[in-house]
Parts: sequence; structure tokens; C-alpha cells
Amino acid sequence: MTRLDPRSRRALGRTLTKLASASVAESLDHGARQPTSDRDTTRIGFTGAPGAGKSTLVSRLAKRRLAACRDQGGIAILGIDPTSPLSGGSILGDRIRMDNIVNEPELYIRSLSSRSANDGLADNVADLLDALDSHGFCEVLLETVGVGQAEHAVRHAVDSLVMVLQPNAGDAVQAMKAGILELADIYVINKADLVGARKTASEVRGIVQRHRDTRTWLPPVIEVTQDGEAGLAELDDAISQHLDWLSKRRDPTETRRLRRRYHVQSLIVRRVAELLGEQPQLLDEPTLRDTYRKALQTLAGDEAATDPEARRDTW
Amino acid sequence: MSLKGKRILIAKPGLDGHDVGAKVIALALRDAGAEVIYTGLRKSAEYIAKVAVDEDVDVVGLSMLSGSHMELVNETMRCLKEYDAGDIKIFVGGTIPEKDREALLNAGACGVYTSEMPLEDVLSDIERQLQ
Ligand SMILES: Nc1nc2c(ncn2[C@@H]2O[C@H](COP(=O)(O)OP(=O)(O)O)[C@@H](O)[C@H]2O)c(=O)[nH]1
Ligand SMILES: [Mg+2]
Repeated sequence: MTRLDPRSRRALGRTLTKLASASVAESLDHGARQPTSDRDTTRIGFTGAPGAGKSTLVSRLAKRRLAACRDQGGIAILGIDPTSPLSGGSILGDRIRMDNIVNEPELYIRSLSSRSANDGLADNVADLLDALDSHGFCEVLLETVGVGQAEHAVRHAVDSLVMVLQPNAGDAVQAMKAGILELADIYVINKADLVGARKTASEVRGIVQRHRDTRTWLPPVIEVTQDGEAGLAELDDAISQHLDWLSKRRDPTETRRLRRRYHVQSLIVRRVAELLGEQPQLLDEPTLRDTYRKALQTLAGDEAATDPEARRDTW
Repeated sequence: MSLKGKRILIAKPGLDGHDVGAKVIALALRDAGAEVIYTGLRKSAEYIAKVAVDEDVDVVGLSMLSGSHMELVNETMRCLKEYDAGDIKIFVGGTIPEKDREALLNAGACGVYTSEMPLEDVLSDIERQLQ
């Protein structure tokens, strides 16, 4: 039985479901059993507003990069779509753009809902990425929801971050001026067949170059259309170049710390939300400070923080 | 009751090009709390089974308007079994002649929902099937 035959895919699919829906306590228990993967699967993130063309681009890029990855474990795609805060339901629409690659045996596509996460990623995304590492994929492509503070959260989850913009995306350019979008390694001006692409590209290029001396990697700005191969090839090369540049300079301890930091931070935020939902009386304390203090006290004795063995003793 | 945490694949096998019904049911399932994945038009049974496995869904809804529902259900079921996923359920929706309902259920479909059925009844039956 090979790693990507249907039966292994079945097992992987089930593992991912379990991890994606794990509570904070379950996720911590899993982490205790399964130390962080020490394999070095390359992770490439794609962020940008809904409708910017991320899924279409990821699909085409996956097909292209598969040529080099086929014998190295294949490629996994994680596509995240928003959960409706009202019903808790979601329509996971990323893979409908990925039709053309479903028959590639070395490719695995998984759709995720953001659940309680509002940072453009999904609950337990760190565990999911680790599980894909352990399964032996050569590369993982991660598509964010593209809203909120997606850039900040995904920055630390991936090695290379691609920001997908559309022509005349005035807001995005404004945000870049304010320094919010400086986190990306590569900028794609997507849908370059539409009017205004050239202008948007040169605006973004201008901003990126103005920050030139503060960074050693100069993020390229690449125009891409869904029907043309030239832009896609340029993007493919730029990603490989960035990964190469990174591998020579990156401090693994620092990377591990940043990832741990994002992971623990997202668990704590989620646990606080769980707690305030479970114990609304915390909100009835006379002052804000009382609520804050009581909430922290409750968290200090939190079940979720206790390891499963110790928890069993108290039952 | 709700479909919270359930993963559902809505698939359109066969040759007809109408997916209004499929979209209506997909949105209704989402509003009941489910995570819904939709395949788009004209998919083969093998394709549908493969997506169901990768996405680890609880149930596949086959939306059909014309003809060969019997073969499509049997074929999808055969592929799922081959992929070690015989436990993934299948329901059928669309224009299904009354005479075929029994046969589809006997073939292993967990539900047969015609377009005349009220949406609430369809949803509560799916909830019951997935409990
Ligand atoms: N004109 C044009 N439209 C595109 C291009 N790439 C994607 N689109 C369209 O943009 C829409 C959103 O694409 P999608 O990949 O789902 O965007 P996402 O929400 O960022 O994942 C779809 O209707 C695509 O067909 C392109 O290069 N040119
Ligand atoms: Mg998308």
C-alpha cells in the first residue's frame, strides 16, 4: 500500500477531520502524543481578498510544481473558506476551481472551514500542517480565507507567502502604503487581462522598492492571467528562488519559535472564548478588572492545560 | 437538532446541465450548520468517490435530473467500497420517479428526496440519517 493510494488517503482524510474539529484540550493532548514533525515539508501560503483568484492560481501552480514533486511525496492543498457565524455552516468552494487537477494521483486537496478562527486561517491549522508534513508530502499549498488579519497569521505558518491582488485593488494598495501588507514575499497582480493591471503592478512595485533597503529579499511583483503561461512560470520560478534564498539564511530555532508562538497564541485565544461562553457569570463581575482577574484565575486551573494522565487521576 | 460539524458533498453526476436544485440544497445544508462541498457539473462516479474520500465527508448527495440514477448510485457505491469508504452514505435528490424509490433504497441509498418534498423534511431526514 503506497502513501497516496485510496486507502491511505482515507486514513489521512479521517485524521485531518479529527484534528480540525479538536477542542483546545484535545489539540493539546494530540500535541503531547505527537511531537512537532521534524520533516521539512515546504509550505507556500496564498492570501488576498475573496475573489482575487487564489484558488484558480493555486490549482494551476500545483499542477506545474507537481512535475518536480511527483517523486518526492506529492503536493497537498489546504483551502480555507469562512464559517458562517450564524449557523456554523459553510460552503467550501475552493476546490471547484481545482477540477483540472483532481485526477493527479500525487495530489491531495482538502477543504477546511475557518470555524472559530477569525485570522484568515482555521482552528488547529498548525496541527493539520504538521499532519501533512508527517504524511510525507513534498509541498503544501495553503489558501487563506483572505479577510481580517490573514497576512499576519499565515506569515508564520508558511515559508513563502504570496499575496494575490487584482487590478485596481485600491484598498490593497492603500493598505500596503500603511505598511500592513509588507509581510508577503511575492506579489501577484492577478487577472492581468483586465484593465488597470499594468498600473496596479507599477504602484505595488513602487511601494515594494521604496522599502528596499529595509529588507534583503526584494519581493517581485508578477502579472498573471488564468489563460497565460508566462506569468505562471515567472511565479513558479520566483517561489523556488525565494525558498532557496530562505534555506540559506533562515535560523531554524527562530522559525520554530515563531510557529510555536502563533500556535499557542491561537489556542489561548480560543480557550478564552470557550471559557467565556461556558461561564457567562464571569461577565457579571462589578468591574472589568474583576472579570479579567477571575477569567485568568479560571484559566490557571484549566482542565485543558492538564495532561491526560493527571486528568485521569482526578476522575 | 443541527448538522453542525457534518461534512457533506453535493455532487452532480450525469449529463444534464442544471444545478439549481443542487445549489438550493447546498445552501440549505449550510444554513443547518453543515460544511458543504460542491463538485460542479457532470462528474463521474469515480471522481465523486475520490473527492468524498479526500474530503472525508459523512454523506454524498447525488443530485440528478435525468435517467440513469440506478447505475450512478451503484457505481458510486462500488467506488467508495473500493476506496475503503463503504461507510460514507449516499442520498439521492432530484426528479426520481416514484417507482424507482424503493429500488434506490434497496441498493443502499440512505434517502431519496424528490423536488416536491418540503426542504425542512429533507433536512430533518438527513439529520436523522447522520446521527
Ligand atoms: N478575468 C480573469 N478572471 C479570473 C482570473 N483568474 C480567476 N478569475 C475569476 O475570478 C473569480 C474568483 O476566482 P477564485 O479562484 O475562486 O478566487 P478566490 O476567492 O481568491 O479563491 C472566478 O470567477 C475566476 O474565474 C484571471 O486571470 N482573469
Ligand atoms: Mg478560493
